[in-house]
This record gives sequence, C-alpha cells and structure tokens, in this order.
Amino acid sequence: MTKTLLILFILLTTLTAFAQKKYTINGTIKDAATGETLIGASVRIQELSSVGTATNSYGFYSLTAPEGEYTLQFTYIGYQTTVQKISFHKSQVLNIALQAKTDLQEVVIRANKPNNDNVASPQMGVEKLNMAQVNQVPVVLGERDILKTITLMPGIKTAGEGNTGFYVRGGSSDQNLILLDEATVYNASHLLGFFSTFNSDAIKDVSIYKGGMPAEYGGRLSSVLDIKMNEGNNKDFTVQGGIGLISSRLKVEGPLVKDKGSFMISARRTYIDFFLKASSDSSIKGSSLYFYDINAKANYHFNDKNAIYISGYFGKDVLGLKDVFGTNWGNSTGTIRFNHLFNNRLFSNTSIIYSNYNYVIQSFESNDNFKATSKITDVNLKEDLQYSLGSSHTLKFGLNILHHDIAPGDISTSQESSFNDKHVEQRYGYETAAYLSDEWKASDKLTILYGLRLSGMFLLGPGTFKTYDAAGNTLTSTTYGLGSVVKNYFNLEPRISGSYTINDENSIKASYNRNTQNIHLLSNSTSSTPTDLYVMSSNNIKPEIADQVSTGWFRNFKENTYEFSAEVYYKWLQNQIDYKDGAQLLVNQDVESLLTYGTGRAYGVELFLKKKYGRFNGWVGYTLSRTERKFDAINNGNYFPARQDRTHDLSVVGIYQFSKRWTFSSTFIYGTGNAVTYPTGKYNVGGLTTFSYSERNGYRQPSSNRLDIGATLEGKEHKKYHSSWTFGIYNVYGHRDPYSITFRDSKTVPNTTEAVETSIFATQIPSVTWNFKF
Amino acid sequence: MKAIFLFIIFFSSALLLTSCNKVIDLNLGNQAGQLVIEGNITNVSGPQSIKLSSNVSFSSTNTYPPVTGAQVTVTDQTGNSFTCAEGPAGTYVIGQLAGETDNTYTMHVVTNGKTYTASSIMPVFVPIDSVTSAKSEFDSGKNKRKITVHYHDPAGIANQYNFLMYVNGVQVKRVLANNDDFTDGNTVDFDLREDDIDIYPGDKVTVEMQCIDKTIYTYWFTLMQQGFNGPGGGVTPSNPPNNISPTALGYFSAHTTQSVSIVVK
Repeated sequence: MTKTLLILFILLTTLTAFAQKKYTINGTIKDAATGETLIGASVRIQELSSVGTATNSYGFYSLTAPEGEYTLQFTYIGYQTTVQKISFHKSQVLNIALQAKTDLQEVVIRANKPNNDNVASPQMGVEKLNMAQVNQVPVVLGERDILKTITLMPGIKTAGEGNTGFYVRGGSSDQNLILLDEATVYNASHLLGFFSTFNSDAIKDVSIYKGGMPAEYGGRLSSVLDIKMNEGNNKDFTVQGGIGLISSRLKVEGPLVKDKGSFMISARRTYIDFFLKASSDSSIKGSSLYFYDINAKANYHFNDKNAIYISGYFGKDVLGLKDVFGTNWGNSTGTIRFNHLFNNRLFSNTSIIYSNYNYVIQSFESNDNFKATSKITDVNLKEDLQYSLGSSHTLKFGLNILHHDIAPGDISTSQESSFNDKHVEQRYGYETAAYLSDEWKASDKLTILYGLRLSGMFLLGPGTFKTYDAAGNTLTSTTYGLGSVVKNYFNLEPRISGSYTINDENSIKASYNRNTQNIHLLSNSTSSTPTDLYVMSSNNIKPEIADQVSTGWFRNFKENTYEFSAEVYYKWLQNQIDYKDGAQLLVNQDVESLLTYGTGRAYGVELFLKKKYGRFNGWVGYTLSRTERKFDAINNGNYFPARQDRTHDLSVVGIYQFSKRWTFSSTFIYGTGNAVTYPTGKYNVGGLTTFSYSERNGYRQPSSNRLDIGATLEGKEHKKYHSSWTFGIYNVYGHRDPYSITFRDSKTVPNTTEAVETSIFATQIPSVTWNFKF
Repeated sequence: MKAIFLFIIFFSSALLLTSCNKVIDLNLGNQAGQLVIEGNITNVSGPQSIKLSSNVSFSSTNTYPPVTGAQVTVTDQTGNSFTCAEGPAGTYVIGQLAGETDNTYTMHVVTNGKTYTASSIMPVFVPIDSVTSAKSEFDSGKNKRKITVHYHDPAGIANQYNFLMYVNGVQVKRVLANNDDFTDGNTVDFDLREDDIDIYPGDKVTVEMQCIDKTIYTYWFTLMQQGFNGPGGGVTPSNPPNNISPTALGYFSAHTTQSVSIVVK
C-alpha cells in the first residue's frame, strides 16, 4: 500500500518538474442574484483547448496555465456565459457572478453543462439532476421527489410503485450511499416509501454515480447519491412555499451578513391526519399518520480564504392507533464544514458529520405494553484536500474516520405486561478511509481519472461475539473488553476511468472500479420498513465487494443540442447476504446466525438520448440488463435472478414550453416485471392449502407501464411576488400496475385456488399544488 | 412482534383504501407428484396418524391423491416401535398411543423404494388458561371481534406454540404460531389475528393450542411469514425447512394438544 502511494507520488512530482513558468487563477463562481455558489460550473481558456476545470462542491476553482494573455470562459447551465480577458503574468483571485437566464425555457431541462463536457470528461456512469428538471417532472400526488426522478435515468430502477427505494445497476437498495450534505441518510423514505425524505425546496444539486466512482467516495457497492442543500440567498430575504393535496411546505432564506453569510430554513408537513380526524369511524379518528421534515443551513465567509457551513436535517414519521400502538421513526443529520484555502492551488475542507436513524414502536395495551427502540448513530470526521498541480493534474486526497454506534434493539415493558425487557448488545466500530486521486489531462484527447482508496473496518468491543456454522449453530463465543478489536478488515480499492476524445462530438470512455461495503442492511421485507436493522462486518459477515468494468461511447449532435451515450457494464459481487427461511430479525441477539452468504453478477447496456435545448426537450433512457445471485443454500446453489432483475426498462420524459406561462410535461415508463417466486404445486398440511415452490424467482410479474402528465402555469408577473400552479395526473390511462400477487383458496369456486393481483394506484390520481415566492 | 404486525396490518388496510384486487390467470409450472408427509403424534391417548399424499398442480382442484402401500413405523427413544396400519387410503394409523413429554419420536416411511425419516421431541404441556373475545381495534364500528388466547408460559425453557382456530366448525385459513422469545415465563395474551373469517357475537369459536418443538415452529413460522402479505409482498416464499430427510414436503410433529370452545360475546 505505502509503496503504491510512494510510486504515485514520485510519478506526479516528476511530471510537474518539467513544467514551464505557470500562473494560477482561483476563485469562486456564484449566482449573481442570490449569491448561491455554483457546483460544477465550467471554466475554460478559449485559446488552450486542453486547459479547463470545473468548480467543486463549494463553487471553488483553480486553474493553472503557462504565462500569456487568455480569454476565460465561465459557463453553467441556465446561466449566461461570461467571458473575461485575463493576463497570466501573476497569480490572482477572480470571483465570478453569473446571471441566471430569465427566459424560462432555457433554464428547464438543459444538460447540466451547456458544452460538450459529457463527451470530454473522464467521468462516466454519472447522472446529474438539476432542480428545474425535478420540478417539472410529474409525480404522484404532486409531491416533487428527487428519488422518483432519478429512477427515470437509465441503469436506475425503482423498487416499485409507492416505494422510494432504488436499485442501481443490479445492486440492492442498501448498496446505495445516500449523502445529504455529506451525512449518510439511512432511511430515505417517508410513509414506508411513498415519499422521499428530501424536500426539493431545500436541495441545490443532485448527482448519482453508478459506475466509475471517484476515490473520494466509498463505503457502498452500487452507487453514491450525493445531495447538496441550498446555501440560502445572501443578498435578499425571500419566502417561498407551496400548498398541495397532502402536504405544504415553506422556505425562508436570506442574508445573515450581506454578501458574507446567509441562511436557509425549509420545512414540510403532511396533513393526511387532519382528514383522518374528520372520520366518523372511531378507530380511524384516533389514529395518527403524518410526517414532517426540516432542512436548515447557514454559512459565513470570513474572507476569501475561510468559510464555514453548518447544515442539518430532521425528519420524523408518526403512525399509530390511539390506545393501541404508536410508532415513529426518522433521520437526523448535522454537518459542520470549514473551507480553507491554503494557497491558490490547495483547497481544504474539514467536516464533522453527525447522522442518526432511530425508530420507536410502542404498544399501549395494558397487559401487552412495551416499547421497542433501535438506533444507529454515526460521527464522522473528514478531511478532503484538492490540489491543482500544473495545468494538467488535479489531485484529490483525504482521510476519513467514521464511528458507528448501533443499538439493534431494546424492549422495555411495565410490570403487568406479558412481554419481557430485552436488550441486544450495542455494537461499536470504526470505518476508516484514505484516498488519493488524480485527474490527469494526458493530452488534448486523453484524460485519465485514477485513484486508490484504502478502506478499513474495525469492529470493537465491549460485548460477546459469537461465530456460527452454516446451520446457524454457535461455534464460539468470546467476550471482548471496551475498545478491543474484535475483527478488522482492510481493502484496497483501485479506481480508474479515462476518456479518449475522438473529436468535439465523439468520445470513448472506459472505467474499472472496486468498491467495498462494511455496513449491511438486514431486512427480509421487500419494501422499505421503519424497522431497518444495520449490522457491521464482523467475524461472520465479510465485507461485501464489487468489481465493475464499464465502457461507453458518448456522442453529441447538432452543436451539443442532443447528447447520446451508450454504456455497457459488468459487475462481480462477493459476500452478498440473504436470509434463511423463517428468519426473525427483530431484537434478536443471534441475528447473524440467520444469514447466508453468496455471490452475484450484473451486466447490462444503457442507452440515453437527451435533447438539451429548445421549447421541446427531454430524454429517452433504455436499459437492457440482468442481475443474478448465487447462494449455496438457495435454489440448489444455482444462479437465480435477483428480485430487481429487469430485462427491459424504458423511460421517456418530455417537456414542452407552450407559452411564457404554460409548460407541459409528460413521462412514460415501461419495465419488465420483477422476478418473483410463484407456486408450482399445492398440498394440504394442518388443514390449510399450502403451496410448493421449485426455482427461486423463476417467474415474472406482469410488466409495468404508466403515463403521467403535468402542467405548470406561471402566475402573472408581479414586482413583489411570484406564484405558479402545478397540475398533474398520475397514471393517465389507469393502468393496473401489479403491486403484489398472492395465492389463496378461491372465494367463489369451492375446492380450488386462485391468484389475486393487487394494484395500488389502479386509477388516475390527479394533483394540484399552488406555489408562491416573495 | 405483535405491534409490528399491528402496524403493518394498519398500514396495509390504509393501502387497501386506494388499492384494488383482481383475480388473474397465470401460467404456472407443474411440479406435481411430490411426496407430502403429514405426521402427528400427540399427548392425547388415542389413534395417531401419518398421512401420505402427493401434491398437485396449482390449477387442479384441492384434492390430493393418497400415497398407498407404504410401510410406516414410529419408534421412540426408549426402543418402542409402533407399526402403522393403513386405514383410509394414504392414512397410516397407530391404534393407541399417548406421546410423552421429552420423548423423541422417529418416523420411518418406506415408499416407492425410498426411506424417509424424521424425528420430533414432544415438548412440555402448557395448558390454556382461557379464550376470550373483545372488540377489534380496527373495526370498532362494525362489531367485529378478535379472539385472544391466554396461557402461562413456563420460565427458563424455550416454548413454541401453534394455534388452530375454528369458527362455527370452519377452520380459519391462517397459520398462527408463537414462541416465547419476548414473553418467557409470563402470562401471555396472544391475539389470534386473521383476516379470513370475520367473527361476530354469537359465533362459536374453538381454539386448539399445540406445544411444538423448535424445528416445527420454524416450519409454521416460515409459512406464517409467507402467508402474511405486508406492504411489498412479504418474504420470498419457498418450501419451509422441515425435519424430513431426504427432502419431502410436509412435517412430522410430536406435540401436545388442548382445545377450548367459547361462544363469542
């Protein structure tokens, strides 16, 4: 390991030794009206085609070029391109404010970068959403939702209707790392998956990496969903919000100190429960069913070199029946980040990150009362550095140490309860990582992004740790003291991707990366439930490992108006986890004895065509893929399709700007049905018709397809305020998408059995939302 | 965990407000003709029986061809051997036997040239204290009732239970299994929640409580998990693990049994 790093370092330093006299320009790119920093804005020297960079997550850029007179071009989607002449005779700071384009049609659905970056960048397997896109795409009940919108991208599959879970390139849903301002969000769903925890008012930038993951990310096998919150307007106070069918939301933002600091608070709450209270049925009347969430952020720029950002999220779901039971669950996260510019080339970000997910389930009945709780708490210390080395290298390196504290389950009861108190030992551990990557512009045509990540896992005492045989019997049981290492794992994760630009409109890219995962979700239910249970790699559970190779062709047409890409990938998965039959995972000290381990593979082709400009724009994504698992204990040890295996998946999104005030949008999706296990026979035991099964997931649910439409009406121009209406119809032609299929004795024909299909949204679901801003 | 089931039931019923059900035709495979063994040895003195049959395809009627002409014997750990005589076709009967607590019973079935064996340990007998009815929390307006069985779980040992319920003589088509992971040594009030037959005042309800061994509990609990369709469709179904080797469908269970009948108030 140290040897590899040393070689890398020598290689990099010798590369720069030959450099001629060079100067560096650095600065921050912001929105001229709100002062929000712009992420991923592009900076180019028009005279030198190979010299260019993009702003990082904090809007910072640093560009180094040989002495000379140049024209710098700053571009960002939805903003007017700014051009500035500059002399590279000394290093200097150049902060840029870009003007947002007022013409709405130019803002919506354009590529995130208005140039050929998708062709030129070495990064592949990444999808970016801009929030203007998210706001136009029609969704169920009008709740704008980034998690629903990303599933319209190729290679990303929804876990089903009414479920915010998603699968990336054949991985399972716990193999996605979901970051909100760098804090892990463990359960990204509200109301058991109908809505996501992300209030799109508070979100500024969304990127999802499904392959070729940069070395600064790690810890999950399949993808990283990196979500950044708005900073808040540092020029003026604004209030905006919306009133919808099931929820309302409000956002307030403004300067703390003009041009130096700002804040943003955004909140949302559903009000289905108010309708429940109106019910005449006393059992419905006494029930609760709602969620709320709050996003808040503040920042302060001490000077050009130092800035601090503080952000937090708090969300809760509450569901219960009066005097019978109550449950609540939710995430909270907090991030403090400190940016420091050591010099015009070295940018540093230090983060302290807190993340918590917990749930409480209570039974109030006197003789059956109990309170069950579970939580996972992370504290993460992270140091990320970015260094521009000459005009052709951008280095990123850093360290991170993450402490997990998992309380898998506690039950407390009163004296008269028929339940006992129960406590499952708390678990502690550290995940550590060190990484180094370099984006190297090797020539005009070839750019290579390569790096290495070393990840470590330390499972710590105190506690009693057991090992189990394949049948789940205890083999050994050892008690460890406070802080002693029970088990540790190290994994070296190489990452490399490169692009070869054939010409301005054509490039070929390829990548290889290895990812490992040391925290695993145990849930034998197919939908998102609040009782998610996380376990760390241990003496029974080995780190999950994925190796992915992918290659693609990227092609732009008509002066970058159209983007086309075709990517193929193949992924090998090791140490995958499944459950034994009859596994009872809740509040179970011996939960690891119920697991079984295997391997997997996933492969596919993704085609993507996007029209970026014009009154009519949108995209078509198509994926042909396969994902399979292999466990000794399941399906006679043969490969079987994973539940999320979907042969064909098509999504079409179209947005049409009809007039200055009216915009229409539409999405259509088609997908092969989930791989499911259906009976191949039946028999009778215990007086009950019982079904027999042969292969695992050998059948397909009927395919799903759906058309949604939406329309936005912008209110008349006012000096003081702006309002708009959003209308939508979900499932326009009332298609019955299968939610589940169950088998039972027929209710109509005696002595026979029948298959019953359940659909949730079997009819059109209209929605209307009124949005305002002043 | 009771409350989890409660809240999933609650959420599922909320879902059902918008959802709709439809009987559909599916082209399912046919793996008929597999041996099914259902063997029960109880603590109640009397005939004990082991039934052999074959499974049929999903589209067939619910009639299962008996497997006749097999040789079936049961032995216990003290060396007693009981030969079963074929009574009705496919039903093999020991004329008179009362299973004893902590005795291991082993079944031997020879059919079609193959020998199948399974062992089960008769658990400690736990009596029913009472069976009661109360208003259902989920349907307070319509007078529906839920049935609760009360018993005292012995402390310090692992106990497993399986419940069968009959409403006016018709069996409720749900698996209702429970163990004492959360209730060891306590007086337990176990709600027999089901959505197969609605129960109203005046109905006659009979509850049979069986004390079963661990393997058989896993068998019934697996079927219960599969039969229970929470949001998203529950667990991936499979043939539940049982105690028969080599592989066959069904189970062999030595268990205690006791039935209590009430008229619902």
